[in-house]
Amino acid sequence: MSTESAAGGDPAPAVELSGITKRFPGVVANSDVDITVRAGTVHALVGENGAGKSTLMKILYGMQRPDDGTIAVAGEPVSFASPADAIRAGIGMVHQHFMLADNLTVLENVVLGSEPRAGVRLDFAAARARVREISDAYGLGVEPDRLVDDLGVGERQRVEILKVLYRGARTLILDEPTAVLVPQEVDELFGNLRDLKAEGLTILFISHKLDEVLAVADDITVMRRGTTVASVSPREVTARKLAELMVGSALPVPELRESTVTDRPVLAASGLTVTSADGRKVLDDVSFTIHAGEVLGIAGVEGNGQAELVEALMGIRVPSAGSVHLAGADITRLSTKRRREAGMGYIPEDRHRQGVLLEASLWENRVLGHQTRKPNARGPLLDRRGAKADTQRIVEQYDVRTPGIDVHAAALSGGNQQKLIVGREMSGNPVVLIAAHPTRGVDVGAQAAIWEHIRRARAERLAVLLISADLDELIGMSDTLAVILRGRLVADHDPSTVTPEQLGSAMTGAGRES
Amino acid sequence: MGRFSVRSVLLGLVAPVGALVFAALVCALILALTGNPPLDTVDAMATAAQRPRTLVNSLNSATQYYLAAVAVAIGFKMKLFNIGVDGQYRLAAMLSAALAGAAFMDGVPPFLRVAMTIVAAMLVGAAWSGLAALLKVTRGVSEVISTIMLNAIATYLVSYLLNPARLAENVPGSNNIGTRPITEGGQVPGIDYPGSTSKIFGLVFLAVLVGVVYWFVLSRTRFGFELKATGLSESAAVASGVSVQKMVVWSMLLSGAVAGLVGMPQLLGSSHSYSLDFPPGLGFIGIAVALLGRNHPVGMAVAALLWGFLDNAANALDVSGVPREIVLIMQGVIVLSVVVAYELVRRYRVRAEQRDVGRALGRTKTLEEVSA
Amino acid sequence: MRGVRLTAGLVALGLGLAACGSDTAAPGGGPGTPAASSIKLGLAYDIGGRGDQSFNDSAARGLDKAEAEFGIDIKELEAAAGETDAQKEDRLRQLAEGGYNTIIAVGFAYAPALKKAAADYPDVKFALIDSEDAQGPNIANLVFAEQEGSFLVGVAAALKSQTGNVGFVGGVNTPLIQKFEVGYTAGVKAVKPDATVQVKYLTQPPDFTGFNDPAKGETAAKGMFDAGADVVYAAAGGSGNGVFKAAKANGRLGIGVDSDQYNLPALADVRDVIITSMVKEVDVAVYDFVTSVKNDKFTAGSHVYDLKAGGIGYATSGGKIDDIQGKIDEYKAKIVAGEIKVPAQK
Repeated sequence: MSTESAAGGDPAPAVELSGITKRFPGVVANSDVDITVRAGTVHALVGENGAGKSTLMKILYGMQRPDDGTIAVAGEPVSFASPADAIRAGIGMVHQHFMLADNLTVLENVVLGSEPRAGVRLDFAAARARVREISDAYGLGVEPDRLVDDLGVGERQRVEILKVLYRGARTLILDEPTAVLVPQEVDELFGNLRDLKAEGLTILFISHKLDEVLAVADDITVMRRGTTVASVSPREVTARKLAELMVGSALPVPELRESTVTDRPVLAASGLTVTSADGRKVLDDVSFTIHAGEVLGIAGVEGNGQAELVEALMGIRVPSAGSVHLAGADITRLSTKRRREAGMGYIPEDRHRQGVLLEASLWENRVLGHQTRKPNARGPLLDRRGAKADTQRIVEQYDVRTPGIDVHAAALSGGNQQKLIVGREMSGNPVVLIAAHPTRGVDVGAQAAIWEHIRRARAERLAVLLISADLDELIGMSDTLAVILRGRLVADHDPSTVTPEQLGSAMTGAGRES
Repeated sequence: MGRFSVRSVLLGLVAPVGALVFAALVCALILALTGNPPLDTVDAMATAAQRPRTLVNSLNSATQYYLAAVAVAIGFKMKLFNIGVDGQYRLAAMLSAALAGAAFMDGVPPFLRVAMTIVAAMLVGAAWSGLAALLKVTRGVSEVISTIMLNAIATYLVSYLLNPARLAENVPGSNNIGTRPITEGGQVPGIDYPGSTSKIFGLVFLAVLVGVVYWFVLSRTRFGFELKATGLSESAAVASGVSVQKMVVWSMLLSGAVAGLVGMPQLLGSSHSYSLDFPPGLGFIGIAVALLGRNHPVGMAVAALLWGFLDNAANALDVSGVPREIVLIMQGVIVLSVVVAYELVRRYRVRAEQRDVGRALGRTKTLEEVSA
Repeated sequence: MRGVRLTAGLVALGLGLAACGSDTAAPGGGPGTPAASSIKLGLAYDIGGRGDQSFNDSAARGLDKAEAEFGIDIKELEAAAGETDAQKEDRLRQLAEGGYNTIIAVGFAYAPALKKAAADYPDVKFALIDSEDAQGPNIANLVFAEQEGSFLVGVAAALKSQTGNVGFVGGVNTPLIQKFEVGYTAGVKAVKPDATVQVKYLTQPPDFTGFNDPAKGETAAKGMFDAGADVVYAAAGGSGNGVFKAAKANGRLGIGVDSDQYNLPALADVRDVIITSMVKEVDVAVYDFVTSVKNDKFTAGSHVYDLKAGGIGYATSGGKIDDIQGKIDEYKAKIVAGEIKVPAQK
């Protein structure tokens, strides 16, 4: 591509990344990434969550160093040890989360860190003039002497952009800039971006909202599983096609087939209350019943008691009131081990902290949580052979991609770690499966597989509690839906009729029917 | 899988061997800078290695170091730092010496008498470490702090008890003071070694037994698995139904019980009394040996033997005019460099394994393959 | 502790290299009957070794004197903290095997090791300082009646005290140092039966740092001065330095130990508070022993150094007790005559 542009007499690409590779324990975040960004264009980088976009941008902005590969800016090879180096090369970054001091003025925020000096004195007058100049040139409409505290979200974003321009950036990276904006603000932003482009600046625009990308971008690069899989023009693709490029296949859809719900209650909570150390009720009088073959989905903004609910159900946290029944037996006082032995499978929310031992082999991870049961144990002794054989079974049945069962869990990708966990928790004839964010941070293939396993669990008459931040997943995979807000179950919804928007407003308490 | 295991064995050796070589170089440099030809030191060590008495003494020292290292390693395996092995074994040795030496014990059959002594030592050691465990699970006191404090308290307690009015008697004609000497029936006879005036501690077999049990419990039992899991990730262990508090208590008790054994070879095989010159500081050597041996039953044995040899070669160095302090420097450098080396190797191993997994599974598809 | 040992090792390495370098290793040559010209002298120190400003140094002075006078071949070896009897025994044996036919073991900790080693080398003459626990035909036990000297400085303390309140700072709480305390207390009470004696030990065994921790000594002495004492006896090796510093800062008095500390260069700054010292002449004992071997007059068994035989006494340097010397000597005469029996144990 670059040879073509050179032949056409175009200027050198503003940014050219080639062969970028970056590994973290457990994940290869970027693998052999190639992107060429033409000068004076808006270039969109799209991909699912976890596809490696943010890592790539951190590398370009000097926040992380690649293990492999080269970066060229305006045709010159560069190597960034820190963002300062990147800024010097004319690359600026507008973060998704603004980095502004509320109690300072716009001007002060803009000059912070690169203060204009006249001798030892700060030369605010010159700075103010320059801020006005930039603001007018690109139509940002930023007033230098206003307090940031008084600004709206869209204005703050423009301050961020101005800040970057003030430092002389010719290439701007915008990390999910529309995530925080309302639709009108998005339109304004796009207007600004076109102005910037017209002035010859280059924009790298990261998003996973395909309609926006198609509306604003000149070129689109698609990332999937840490690598660049396609470079397309918005005129040639549809949103659907782009989505399929992102996920690599026909999109999996979370959906259940015919109902398997029975009237046999398996897991029941009543009046479950958890009090935090400071006396606050983090879980407040929660009651529900899950029947055999039923999936109960819990929707909620994170931090509204989901983690406490799961921990109380699993016996990790002692409830201050209420009870938990498993198949009619009171298990409120049972230890986590006893509950697991009684058939409670558990896919924890934080895979690395709670789900696996990163520095232990796969077969040892198979034993984890099942260390008292066959085929892993015989009395007080560990049955290594049995555990290894069963790990092999899980690896095959659950499609865990690994060269063997003796490698450490840290060597596997997140999706494969998760498949191992699901396989483990489905072993030993469970009657309940508690799945907290089971598809978080896994690739699309693994996501589809995990959904399929949850469907199978349901078909095998397990009672499933599904907690997720992915509303499509919740709506598609649940037989019953409840919304949790400030530790309380506030609303029940029928997943066959509810829309993500309705669910979303219920989660924030806005749409609460009184 | 053969490829993985060969490499892991090699990687396992790289760190300690590299640390040893590095330590040797540092010591050679120090010796050379201070005007002592390094080759003289090598020569003196080689001479020492050929003297049967030095070998026997090294083995005897190693026996104690190994027991101390196992005691420390039980804690290390679950990220508990039992710094209190030192106080635990001293208190245990003192009290069990008082028991074994007591007049009424003279009538007890020898085997039973030795067994009672050893069990008493284990109980005392476990009780002392149990205090730290109790403080940790009920009050959240870091075991590092509490065991250090308990070391100091043990020192005072031993001083208090080591008094003619209490559990000790003055050694006639000496400025020493000790518990009543254990009569022959309560001693563990040593093993003769040709050419050596020292005997091999009979309790060297106790150390071997402890090593075997340690290996078995850690790698073959549920308890060992839960211990290891807790050490690798406490949160994952909790989610898996491991009661971390219970594990803390049990591992501290076991660690303390093994710590109680540390003084036994010396007490029953050589001193036969706990007196002012009973060797202190073995617990701290145990920490170094456990670090060097990576908590591995065989690794710690090798480390203990190395440590024992270095300590016992010091006299030979002294005699041949090489400052004996070089041994301390060497031991210090070995521990420091081995800790660094293990971390480097660990990181390398993680990366290498990820690379291998990536290679085994094939790379993600390239741009051309997708567009094609 | 390991760190401390390592640091100590490094420091010792830096300080002690010259000494070590001058050693001449002389392998070969089995032990023979010591003739006057062929004495080869081996000396095994207790923990701390040469340079501990105390006990070991005192032995070293005797060694230096013998070396200067007789020009004999000398090898000095040092004990490590935390070592076993077997390692001490190995040290003695290595000396004997190396042809050293006259061997001195400094400190009671060597008793069990010496007992075993001496039996295998009947031609080697051994001396054991501070212990009669190991006896044999080739072992001379050099022991001291520290309580008698301490009694006399106790008398001095009582006579010099205005408040009737005196102190005792012991380095480490061992039976040896308790002998100092008991004798001192008896001396004080002999003069002023109702006087108060404050007692403080800096550390408990097996922590022997109390012999070399001036800061601890200073704190302990300051506490005693604050509680009304005006004379403090420092039986604490190198920690005595701190005791004297505190005495100087508070305008009080101190009493030294082991050697005539008024004349020690290291204590020149604080010498004006040192009224006297309890002198335990390990150097004399060492020198006597070497002389006896050299002159073929070696006798096995106990050699007791006390007020009567010499080797124990009190120092008068500085003239601070000139006014009461007559009184002290009266007590001394009574002890020598056996009229006063000074207790050695509590």
